[in-house]
Amino acid sequence: MKQLAEIHTAFIERADDVSLLNTPAVNALRQKAKAQFERHGLPGKKQEDWKYTSLWQLGQEQFVYQAVETTLDAETIDRLALVTGSYRLVIVDGVFQPELSRLADLPQGVKLQAMSQLDADIADQLNQQIDLEKPGFNALNTMLFSEGLYLHIANDIQLSQTIELVVVNSGKTANLAVHLRHLVRLENGAKATLIEHYVAVDDAATGLNDIVTEVALAQDAQLEHYKLQQESVTSYHVATMAAHQAEGSHWHNANISLGGKLARNDVHSRLEGEAAHLTMSGLYLVAGDQHVDNHTRIDHSVANTSSDEVYKGVMDEKSHAVFNGKVFVHKDAQKTDANQSNHNLLLSRGCEIDTKPEMEIYADDVKCGHGSTVGQIDMDQLFFLRARGLDEVSARSLLTFAFAVDVLERLPSDEIKQALSTVIEQRLPRGAKV
Amino acid sequence: MKMLEIKNLHATIDGKEILKGIDLTVNAGEVHAIMGPNGAGKSTLSNVLAGRDGYEITQGEILYKGENLIDLEPEERAQRGVFLAFQYPVEIPGVSNIYLLKAALNAVRKYQGLDELDAIDFLTLVRSKMELVKMDEQFLHRSVNEGFSGGEKKRNEILQMALLEPALAILDETDSGLDIDALRIVSEGVNALRDTDRSMIMITHYQRLLDYIVPDYVHVLSNGRIVKSGDKDLAKELERSGYSWIHDAPEGVGA
Repeated sequence: MKQLAEIHTAFIERADDVSLLNTPAVNALRQKAKAQFERHGLPGKKQEDWKYTSLWQLGQEQFVYQAVETTLDAETIDRLALVTGSYRLVIVDGVFQPELSRLADLPQGVKLQAMSQLDADIADQLNQQIDLEKPGFNALNTMLFSEGLYLHIANDIQLSQTIELVVVNSGKTANLAVHLRHLVRLENGAKATLIEHYVAVDDAATGLNDIVTEVALAQDAQLEHYKLQQESVTSYHVATMAAHQAEGSHWHNANISLGGKLARNDVHSRLEGEAAHLTMSGLYLVAGDQHVDNHTRIDHSVANTSSDEVYKGVMDEKSHAVFNGKVFVHKDAQKTDANQSNHNLLLSRGCEIDTKPEMEIYADDVKCGHGSTVGQIDMDQLFFLRARGLDEVSARSLLTFAFAVDVLERLPSDEIKQALSTVIEQRLPRGAKV
Repeated sequence: MKMLEIKNLHATIDGKEILKGIDLTVNAGEVHAIMGPNGAGKSTLSNVLAGRDGYEITQGEILYKGENLIDLEPEERAQRGVFLAFQYPVEIPGVSNIYLLKAALNAVRKYQGLDELDAIDFLTLVRSKMELVKMDEQFLHRSVNEGFSGGEKKRNEILQMALLEPALAILDETDSGLDIDALRIVSEGVNALRDTDRSMIMITHYQRLLDYIVPDYVHVLSNGRIVKSGDKDLAKELERSGYSWIHDAPEGVGA
């Protein structure tokens, strides 16, 4: 049995080999993060945010950084990708794949590149949305990120075509660790649709994806931001999506977790301009011994902002899910309108959900509501469907599917909604089919 | 032809006997009304016929077209042509009506060895059945019964029945919660489905429904037994005298 300290050392040793964005300013950030990581390491269960998610098993792994050279063909990427005809940035086993990506013919004012292809120093845009003080993966990611997506959209440019980031684990290298940092900046009135898609070619692929996505939305900017985590059930995935929202901006964050032995998402937005609006939609489907943990945090910092959050989950077999949603309504945030809910469907006796919706309200003129439910397949619905001739397997699957896809109804894009619905149908837990 | 034969049926729920020896024969093409006060066992009878979990059959048999229903799952009964129109149709958010109709029809067709209908034939068929219950096409794309009024839910049940063309339909309190206009529409739909090859059992507390759907036979269910049988005039008699007299009736009367 290994102690977490051993994996800490392994991560720290890796720091000297990272050469992406090798500028003095970036290196200074990395050094600071390294010092932070040396001090705190990975979070333990004593930390409230990690109470229900143990990193013990992750600590037993020996991750590698040298990927076996792999070439995937365009057809494979087409098959893996969620949508067709979009701009595409493809990363395979941690390495940017220019020949598989589609980054040509971008409109004026749109900069979409792999981090490794950047010519400008973007140090001042890094670590703007995340906090390195607390133990967690932010320091680790800052210390080790070696690729990522960079998206910048200038004032009033509205990109109609979707951008899909496809991050593939080919399964060729066992226990490969990949650390990615994505930066997304939309200037005043800019608009875009981004899909972060994490997928494995091989169902038995192993490894770690450690991701931080920083989003900055200027005045009236609108970002539809989808994340589909569809990796093998034998891999680790730890991700933070953190946004800053200025006046009148809208972030629609949809977070779908299907794969992973352990998947942890921290989604955070700070609404710091009046009339900023946030929509968070989440869905997790887990079975076997999978563990998924979603922590969300919404800060209403100024008056007249709104947020609407719905997370739903389906658990089967021995799986374990955690939902923790925090909404903070700060002192000056009068007229905040915040709604949060988490609904769970348990398909078997062995599974577990720990759900904790929280609101802290320091303003007195607000409209806030939250709630969570945990339930099973409704026996009246099941009997009704069977009395109409559907066998029990189909009836259970249909009810599970209906519970899950309800979240997709919230999504603005019909194409993405349809594509996600197909993916979810294929990944319904087995318990839905018993 | 005998469509349904219930012989000395006893059923319990949570160890409590609700049906205490029901005998009933329904021939093809007949419409039977089963009336009775609250707690007589009316809903238990319809649930037992459709195969709902939670009831234990301790004695007797249920023969449908000569085959014992008791050992069949609810879906197997439905696929063979037994249809229960629910007293309280459930709402199923996230499942569209059209999806349900298609899945149900295909399940029945598959049992009959028929291919699935293609999208165009299916839609043509559904539209023709919707006219029968005067339902607007928008109901196809809404979630099953979600946000439907009481009348819309019952019309939706009859729409499913019209589409599935069962040989035996059990209408459980179809009139409950209906205003007079909805009752008329639902009744017209049911009457249009009367056929020499189709039998119906109407379970109802009130005589009112029987003014619209006139039964061939009326049975009075009380305390788990059929205590009196007759023609449609029996229903009128019940309307006049209520159910109080049956408590005084001697054991074993009727049927």
